[in-house]
Amino acid sequence: MTEPLPPRPEPRRQWSRRLRDRLATLLITAGGLGVVAAVLAIGVFLALEVAPLFLAAEASLGWGELWREYWQPGTLPGETPAYGMLPLAWGTLKAAFWALLFAIPLALGAAIHSALYMPPRLRSRLKPTLEMMEAMPGVVVGFVAGLVLAPWVERHLAGALALALVLPAGMLLAGMAWTRLPPGLRRRLLPGWAGLWLMPWLALLATLSLWLSPVLEGLLFNGDLRHWLAARFGLDYASRNALIVGLAMGFAVIPGIYALAEDALTGVPASLGEGAQALGATRWQSLWKVVLPAAAPGVFSAVMIGAGRAVGETMIVLMASGNTALMTLSPLEGMRSMAATIAIELPEAVPGGVHYRLLFLAALALFAFTFLVNTLAELVRARLRRRYRRLEAAT
Amino acid sequence: MSRFGRARLPRGEGPWPWLAAGSVALSLLMFSGLLLLLAVRGLGHFWPAPLSLVALEDGRLLAGQVVREERLPGGAGRERLYLTANRDLDGAIWSWVAVDEIAEESHPRDLVVLERTRWGSFHGRLLALEDAAGRVEGEAAWQALQERLGELEALRRERAHLRDRVVVPLVRRLERGADAALAAELGAANARIRQLQARMGGTRLLLESVDGRRLEQPLEQVLRAWRPNAMSAPRKLAAWGHGVWRFLSEGPRAANTAGGVWPAIFGTVLMVLLMSVVVTPFGVLAGIYLNEVAHQGRFTRLVRIAVRNLAGVPSIVYGVFGLGVFVYGIGGTLDEWFFADQLPSPTFGTGGLLWASLTLALLTLPVVIVATEEGLARVPDHQREGALALGATRVEMLTRVVLPMTAPAMLTGVILAVARAAGEVAPLMLVGVAKLAPQVPVDGEFPFLHLEQKFMHLGYHIYDVAFHGGDVEAALPLVYATALLLVLVILVLNLTAIFLRHHLRARHGTVPRR
Repeated sequence: MTEPLPPRPEPRRQWSRRLRDRLATLLITAGGLGVVAAVLAIGVFLALEVAPLFLAAEASLGWGELWREYWQPGTLPGETPAYGMLPLAWGTLKAAFWALLFAIPLALGAAIHSALYMPPRLRSRLKPTLEMMEAMPGVVVGFVAGLVLAPWVERHLAGALALALVLPAGMLLAGMAWTRLPPGLRRRLLPGWAGLWLMPWLALLATLSLWLSPVLEGLLFNGDLRHWLAARFGLDYASRNALIVGLAMGFAVIPGIYALAEDALTGVPASLGEGAQALGATRWQSLWKVVLPAAAPGVFSAVMIGAGRAVGETMIVLMASGNTALMTLSPLEGMRSMAATIAIELPEAVPGGVHYRLLFLAALALFAFTFLVNTLAELVRARLRRRYRRLEAAT
Repeated sequence: MSRFGRARLPRGEGPWPWLAAGSVALSLLMFSGLLLLLAVRGLGHFWPAPLSLVALEDGRLLAGQVVREERLPGGAGRERLYLTANRDLDGAIWSWVAVDEIAEESHPRDLVVLERTRWGSFHGRLLALEDAAGRVEGEAAWQALQERLGELEALRRERAHLRDRVVVPLVRRLERGADAALAAELGAANARIRQLQARMGGTRLLLESVDGRRLEQPLEQVLRAWRPNAMSAPRKLAAWGHGVWRFLSEGPRAANTAGGVWPAIFGTVLMVLLMSVVVTPFGVLAGIYLNEVAHQGRFTRLVRIAVRNLAGVPSIVYGVFGLGVFVYGIGGTLDEWFFADQLPSPTFGTGGLLWASLTLALLTLPVVIVATEEGLARVPDHQREGALALGATRVEMLTRVVLPMTAPAMLTGVILAVARAAGEVAPLMLVGVAKLAPQVPVDGEFPFLHLEQKFMHLGYHIYDVAFHGGDVEAALPLVYATALLLVLVILVLNLTAIFLRHHLRARHGTVPRR
């Protein structure tokens, strides 16, 4: 005998539950689709605002106008406006270039070290630390770069440039010294913890080199590197320049690149690296020949996302670049980026005017660029994840 | 022997691993350096620094606080920057002094620092205090000054209270329609303020700078007085705490270069609160839709990628969108419909609290969506299937089983969104911060919360004071303090989110990626 079934709920209650479920599902769907549509509407809206620039007769502007090398929005009375977007695009790319030049080696180095050498416990502490570094507000980084770092570097240019040589040399020196240490000490200073115990050593080196650099500057460059650069190469020095922007924005971009690159490296199936090491490769050899090629798309997408961030960063460039719309290659001169131009000029632009629409065009360009770059990076990462899964299944 | 010993250790692997390790060290060094710089400069500003009396070899005397020391160009010795204050006497508040030219440096205990509402600080000596009752000199004058400053502070507080709580609302009500009773009330309040003002005035300080120039200073312009060289360490610590408190609780003075940041703190918090009220339901709804309701096909995958990518779109683009859609579009229309009598001066058609919160809500929406989705993906499918098998409808399954398990993940998302929004400045420059808005956008006047008002923001305050002030050097300590405050808030928020997430991972394991 089977037990009697529990009594079925009354049909009316059942019906109202169904209805409630339908309604709620509908609500969620409507809300979700609405939010998604609203968020995606940004691009469409920007394009609609820009379109009259090229279509409508009264506010139109030829394509040729955009490619001129002057950006003079005519805010001063009696000034003929010139709307060449070229210097702005140049400034944006220049800032991003120097930032990436500084950030990529550091971020990838850090990712490699933490993925390959660090003990897992230390790594699980390092990741949130760098995440907090990423959370540093741009306005704070920009303030420190523009008002503290820039004047300081202007006074100690030789010392600052010397750091770029001294610090890598110091890392290598530490490595050489480590192999010659007595074994007992070497067991204390494990290479996996080098990220921490190198810190005081590098700080010491930096202090030393800053302390000694005036002497060297006196011997090599007649006491003033800036003068020497100007006389020898004709390089002008602007206090807020591409180097400062690169340093500050690099600082802001490092954690993002690090996190994604580290994900890509740790995602490589461990069996690959272990196989290489079992065949006698060192950890570095297995990284270089096996792990890195496998993770290359992920590392590439990390760099792309870093580039997207660097192109769109506003406050750091605004505060640290001097905002001069120049088109020079020199890292010692300033630039004006699109994002900074929007932030400065849009509140004053007349809605619907040519200037206003051009600033919208700049915003659209930024949007399109970052959106494309990020989508590309995301697709690459998705493919990579599938590849890892296959690799893991195969071994 | 030693060769065998070495062989058992990890092998050396050439130079590259050391460069990799070094880049970790360098990144951490830069980060901690930045934090240290902000902490030292930001907190050090409130410490009552000793005041040096410097006698130069050419006979000049000056009293100042050492700011920094630098090498002279060409290696010819060093020079020191002193903050000498006394703008009304000297026309400047800074003095560069070559270290070689200093004949003697001492720290006399009777040197006084006065913080004033006009002309900045004063460094020098207090000779006498004069009022209607008479004149006191020497140490007694110092005692009297301390007492009078305490009274003044109470009077000022009463005056501010009267002005904000009584006079301003009365004036607003009178603007709407004249009323004899109200006018009488206003007259009484104004008379009371004048009476307070009269009690504040009347006392003068006789001051002398260290090089012997005398100055009469009305006491009502003096905010604080202290003798840094005569203070003991606990007294200094108390003064430091008091300084920090005043920084947090007072409004800015002297074109934002002095005073506190209370309106900016209030504005930031209010804006972020409004933003999270908007972003939480919509973000969660979209997350649930994408993960639980939508058909998991190619389209949903593309939408998911697009939403994720919007987190990487520059914040300034959101600002442009907010300006075009919210401010000029919706705001302009609202003005035409409801506030047509006030046009052409815009009410909602200009940047304001509401538009700023909405823009930042849009900006942080992807953060909340992604966090919610991650949380939902972490809930094992058998929980859902179990609920459905027991006869729950989908909504019952979601609200009773899945969402309670996801709540911490959503909270993490909201906290991260708040942290991101608190530090974002670029979009706010377009949609609604004000350089100076000492009136916070909440008061006793209907509708209590003034969504159309402009507001102050900590991040924008940093940018504005640092780049649009007259004397950057003078404003710098305050900028450091503000930056430190902002960074602390954001770091605490992020730490909370990190701990929550860690806790979640420990409970539910890592999430499989799709």
